Amino acid sequence: MAYFILESCIGCTNCQTICPSQAIVGEKKGLHAINPAICIECGACGRICPAKAVEDNFGVVAQQIKKQDWEKPTFNLNACISCGICLDTCPAGALDANLQKVGSRHVFPCLPDESICMGCGFCAADCPVEAITMGPRLSKSPKLVKKAS
Amino acid sequence: MDKQSKGYMGKIMNVDLTTGKIQIERLSPIVYESFLSGMGLAAHLLYHRIPAGADPLGPDNLLGFVSGLLTGTGSLFTGRWMVVGKSPLTKGWGEANCGGSFSPAIKRCGVDGIFFKGISPKPVYLYVDDTTMELRDAATIWGMDAVETETHLINSLKKKNARVACIGQSGENLSLISGVSTDKGRIAARSGLGAVMGSKNLKALVLAGTQRIGVHNREEIKRLSQICNRWVQFQPPFVPGFLTAPIGALMRMMPAVLTQDGLLYKILLRKWGTVSMNQMSVEMGDSPIKNWNGTNKDWGFFKSRSSNPDVFIRKEEAKFHCYSCPLGCGGICKTDGKFSETHKPEYETVLSLGGFLMNKNVDSVFYLNELLNRAGMDSISAGHAVGFAMECFERGIITTRDTMGVELKWGDPIAIEFLIEKMITRDGIGDILADGVKVAAERIGKGADKIAIHAGGQEPAMHDSRNDPGFALHYSVEPAPGRHTNGAGLYYEMYQLWKKVKGVPKMGPVYMKSSKYKKNIKHARIGKANSQYLNVMNGSGACLFGGFLGAKRIRIFDWLNAATGWHRTPEQYMEIGTNIQTLKQAFNVRQGLLPKDNRISDRLLGLPAQTRGANKGRSVDIDTMMKDYWSLFGWDPETGIPSRETIEGLASVA
Repeated sequence: MAYFILESCIGCTNCQTICPSQAIVGEKKGLHAINPAICIECGACGRICPAKAVEDNFGVVAQQIKKQDWEKPTFNLNACISCGICLDTCPAGALDANLQKVGSRHVFPCLPDESICMGCGFCAADCPVEAITMGPRLSKSPKLVKKAS
Repeated sequence: MDKQSKGYMGKIMNVDLTTGKIQIERLSPIVYESFLSGMGLAAHLLYHRIPAGADPLGPDNLLGFVSGLLTGTGSLFTGRWMVVGKSPLTKGWGEANCGGSFSPAIKRCGVDGIFFKGISPKPVYLYVDDTTMELRDAATIWGMDAVETETHLINSLKKKNARVACIGQSGENLSLISGVSTDKGRIAARSGLGAVMGSKNLKALVLAGTQRIGVHNREEIKRLSQICNRWVQFQPPFVPGFLTAPIGALMRMMPAVLTQDGLLYKILLRKWGTVSMNQMSVEMGDSPIKNWNGTNKDWGFFKSRSSNPDVFIRKEEAKFHCYSCPLGCGGICKTDGKFSETHKPEYETVLSLGGFLMNKNVDSVFYLNELLNRAGMDSISAGHAVGFAMECFERGIITTRDTMGVELKWGDPIAIEFLIEKMITRDGIGDILADGVKVAAERIGKGADKIAIHAGGQEPAMHDSRNDPGFALHYSVEPAPGRHTNGAGLYYEMYQLWKKVKGVPKMGPVYMKSSKYKKNIKHARIGKANSQYLNVMNGSGACLFGGFLGAKRIRIFDWLNAATGWHRTPEQYMEIGTNIQTLKQAFNVRQGLLPKDNRISDRLLGLPAQTRGANKGRSVDIDTMMKDYWSLFGWDPETGIPSRETIEGLASVA
């Protein structure tokens, strides 16, 4: 199964630009197509498409979501085991690892540049110990903190 | 194209370096069902595709890079990759195994392995991502060391997530003890496969794919991973490093042995890494001293204390975890001198460049560790070559006329550095030693072969088979001989296979040391189970240290079922291990090797027995053990050759 581009495609090339596996081909202003052999079903094409022209692998037309509203990973460092699976599975290469816990020499994952993250959630899905949760981007969190308090 | 959901990708990449042609080949599921992936898949392909009598450094040899069946499935301790081919060192089955992060990168390119044949007319590297697979000119990076190569490729390609495996100067110079490096200095070192890569004018592989790795039941895999992880995270406080030596001494003095639970070793690995064994192993009689001629008495507390594990931890800035590893036995160390950073030296390297050469200078060990990793030279074999040269010098077989005026005195770090630097550049005496001790002894003559310690050309690791005869067995009978990773009596204790597999020998809580040296078919049965299980682990991409947790804590068999959807019993997986072992043995036989010729040197067998130290009076009846082992596999007990019917049965798998 893979994502599919409908005839309503306007050829804006947004999907082609963001696709981390270079699975999308097409000319500007022309109908684009997804190579199902390469598509990894990250869903970034659907989230970025302004023309509702991307169908997911269940046949549902994906809704455009503003990039600043894409979910981002949060890491529970107390549960994290530093196995690096999330870093490897991230198709955008958005994650890094560094020393973050006082008194520990183990490195833990982080998201140094949120703009690279596509919100695919593969890191959370593949984490063997459920140490990653997907949610609103961190820059919005002060507002949430205010509400909570 | 359908997406696999069985853990494996179902395809391989074939690269013909002579023509530049690259093809994807789909494999039958029967191949995976019969031999798993990783080393098993490689055994199947190499048996069929490398012709008899192929020159290991010629175009007919195949060089394969394979990932494990469980790699990338969410299982833990399963990030090993393996490089395979006909070994130029042993002239038979060649394999080397490495961690880091390269293994999942192979599968993210949509394949389980990448196999090279032919010889490129000029230096090239392979670049693969989701839409590209091509050979690119490597003229600018030829001559760089492994760290420079990796850094240059990742920076110039602007591919932060790309993974690189490459050779350093040692592989380029066709040193028969060279390997393939990755992750800035981790190395698949053994079998001399770096020379095969160099002979093909292949400098590096750069893998930047993003493909998903499908599995049958990801939730079940996670459940099993969490069981495993709970044991890994159990980490009570442990003694300071200086007390590891007296613990080893105590173990030496006791006439009986407590059957080892690998959980204890895990605690040591978590705290220190493999350097935890530096002093303990010397005291136990496990570490070879002075080219296998010395004993713990020659390398006592006060001499070995320079390698106190705490010395290494003090230089450690961060732990290094291989892919999917919750343990983190590796480390990144800050050092003074030419290199500011190095991977924490492993036990094998510390002993090989330390006690084995009577070298107390730990700074030189750090320096040489990085130098060898960068050059892509096997530190175990390099240490052996230096030890061999020093003993030759001591006996007058070589003199300062042969060594460019340098006196090769035991323990002299300047002499050791001199020899290793010359080996890397193949200069003078270094050119003689750069192909391992067997070839060096042939070049030197004058009876030097008597002090060249090897099994079928491969230098053994830093584990003394006079202390654990299981090492002698596996050094001698494995298709890739001379490896400490293949098996030992101690490993079997830690695997705890009898808790999961029916029909394998059970171990009680305690046994007498003397029982290890008595004739008993049980030794061979343990050896067989070790080989079977290791083949399953290598087919899965599993780490030996994970295996040491015990089969009930690291659920390799259950992970395999969850990843593939198969319903196999542990016994059936062990039978696959038998088939892989037989195929590798058949590979050697077809290449004209006689299995009995891989018997380890007499010195390691206690022939004659040492007269002092931890292994005083001990000798190993290896001939009986080898016959028993071959017999249990159903091979000819006198020759170790599998029957034609057995080989044809395995070879007929599509």
